[in-house]
Amino acid sequence: MGELRRDPVVGRWVIVDIENPKKPADFGYEQYIPQGGLCPFCYGNEFMTPPEINCFRDPGTGANTPGWQVRVVANKFPALQIEGDLDRRGLGIYDMSNGVGAHEVLIESPYHNKDIPELLEQEIQAYLKMCCLRAADLKKDSRFKYIMIFRNYGSAAGASLEHPHTQLVALPMVPKNPLEEIHGSRDYYNYRERCIFCDIIRQEIQDKTRVILENKYFISFCPFVSRFPFEIMIMPKQHSGYFCQMSEDEISALAQILKDTLAKLKKVFENLSYNYIIHSAPINGEADVEYYHWHIEIMPKLTQVAGFEWGTGFYLDSTSPELAAQYLKAVKD
Amino acid sequence: MIIATERARRPDQFVGKLKDQEDQSVCPFCEGREAGTPPEIYAIRPRSSTRNGTGWDLRVVPSISPFLRVEGDLERRGNGIYDVMNGLGAHEVVVETNQHIANMADLSEEQITKVLNCYSDRIVDLERDTRLKYVLVFKNYGQGSGSTGIKHARSQLIATPVNPKRVKEELAGARLYYEYHERCVFCDLIQQELAQKERVILDFNGFVAVSPFASRFPFETWILPKQHCCDYTCMDAESRKNLSRVLKAVLLKLKIGLNDPDYNYVIHTAPFRRQKVGYWKTIDHDYHWHIEIMPRLTKMAGFEWGTGFYICPLPPEDTAKFLREVQI
Repeated sequence: MGELRRDPVVGRWVIVDIENPKKPADFGYEQYIPQGGLCPFCYGNEFMTPPEINCFRDPGTGANTPGWQVRVVANKFPALQIEGDLDRRGLGIYDMSNGVGAHEVLIESPYHNKDIPELLEQEIQAYLKMCCLRAADLKKDSRFKYIMIFRNYGSAAGASLEHPHTQLVALPMVPKNPLEEIHGSRDYYNYRERCIFCDIIRQEIQDKTRVILENKYFISFCPFVSRFPFEIMIMPKQHSGYFCQMSEDEISALAQILKDTLAKLKKVFENLSYNYIIHSAPINGEADVEYYHWHIEIMPKLTQVAGFEWGTGFYLDSTSPELAAQYLKAVKD
Repeated sequence: MIIATERARRPDQFVGKLKDQEDQSVCPFCEGREAGTPPEIYAIRPRSSTRNGTGWDLRVVPSISPFLRVEGDLERRGNGIYDVMNGLGAHEVVVETNQHIANMADLSEEQITKVLNCYSDRIVDLERDTRLKYVLVFKNYGQGSGSTGIKHARSQLIATPVNPKRVKEELAGARLYYEYHERCVFCDLIQQELAQKERVILDFNGFVAVSPFASRFPFETWILPKQHCCDYTCMDAESRKNLSRVLKAVLLKLKIGLNDPDYNYVIHTAPFRRQKVGYWKTIDHDYHWHIEIMPRLTKMAGFEWGTGFYICPLPPEDTAKFLREVQI
């Protein structure tokens, strides 16, 4: 029999198959093998992208030329646009708004074929630092209430370009999913006067069965209420609402745990596509940070979300997070 | 929902390739292979035939790999800060035909009517188990929809001991609208769509098929009954015949227009309404059952997962026009 587990933050029920959990070999997932070809994110093709917004580059090299380590440009096909004011209006019973917001692309490294596990730790540090810089910069614009950083890696994860990149959107409102997390953690805080994520970390460290890796500042684990097989969370052990306020030491620790966790995941599942999302507190007065705790959610693309999940918001996890953590832990470097 | 008008694509860019053929000699859902499934729960078969034997027209069997089972107790309990309960419920498979036909669009109207009747019968039966709160009826067609590789038309029912999150949200939204307007939001939606016309695909004998204003996915289609009712099982025999015609027409238009895409559909209906303290008195007035069909043409990416916003690459007015013009 499966077990029903309720997410302590958003209250979502998930059915976990603890009786016959699937093993890694049981997943027939879409393999991602990069094809190469002309790439607007590679050295020498800087002219193919909109001009750079920020960049780490070698001294003496000019903007929009080779010689960079991390490069940020505006999304050429933005879902949202930065110019103009928010114009909310009605059409009969429907509500509409124009899409005000920023949509940026962060090219993580000059290497077309290197995913995070293949990068050096210092290269990942530079990438994370740039994410922080961009988030901190956009936070200054008072029209924005939420900044989301996410990464689609591989075709099954919805990536339209092969060269590894991360996207950043700044939105004029707090979207539905983060809002649910914020309400859930606020209710818990009002009741217990503690941060729910700090409590989760404490329990996971105690239980041990779902922990993958741990260092001085971070922990990576398979959440007790996983929606997808081999879902992973990375959380800072110290309470902090904003991703972009990490210290240098924390950035180094995150680079290490992110690299090692993804390396383990990709050793269990070769040529895997995955998404990750950085969940951080809303900005410009939309929430207090004492009850929210930033974290990274990694979602491997091993299964297709089916009609049942769409219709109900009720997820079926065909493996258990305990078994997933066991496999990930067992991977040798 | 974000309708991307600037990066919008044309409807014909979503037309896919035809599916491969498969070996049907191993299909456990075909007539004559009844032994390959668990014993049937429900069947439409002549009196002369025997249970779990041949001669049936439609069968319902428990899922071979059920996530939920009817036996046992819920045993709600805590595990530190987490809440846990046993996977009690039901997980059934409706085998829609004894022929090896993959897409419901290719079944006859009479056969689809039988499937629609069967849904109703199964929901009413499961409602008698007071431990259960909701029945979800859905279909996964094609591998991109989460279905296994077996190409034999079937749908699934999952009955759960809790009300699922998205169902609760939809009910709460409808209730809020009703409290303010004293009208059903879906009835208002139907009225506005019929007046504006540009998002209507079909309008036939008491049912409308529309591309919803805030479509999450390209070619998302809703079928709504014009007559207000919160519960799928309230339909009479005549209505089910009409629904069967509309459903077949919509599925055929998708199949012909987009070259047999994978799709999901989900029946949105009210939870079981057992009288008890705190019973939701207005649900009969504020909720309106309907069917949501979602062709699987795009992939969910980090943005959608993270925000709960959807970027729809095609305005619903264009998809409605495209589907209206597909000849069936």
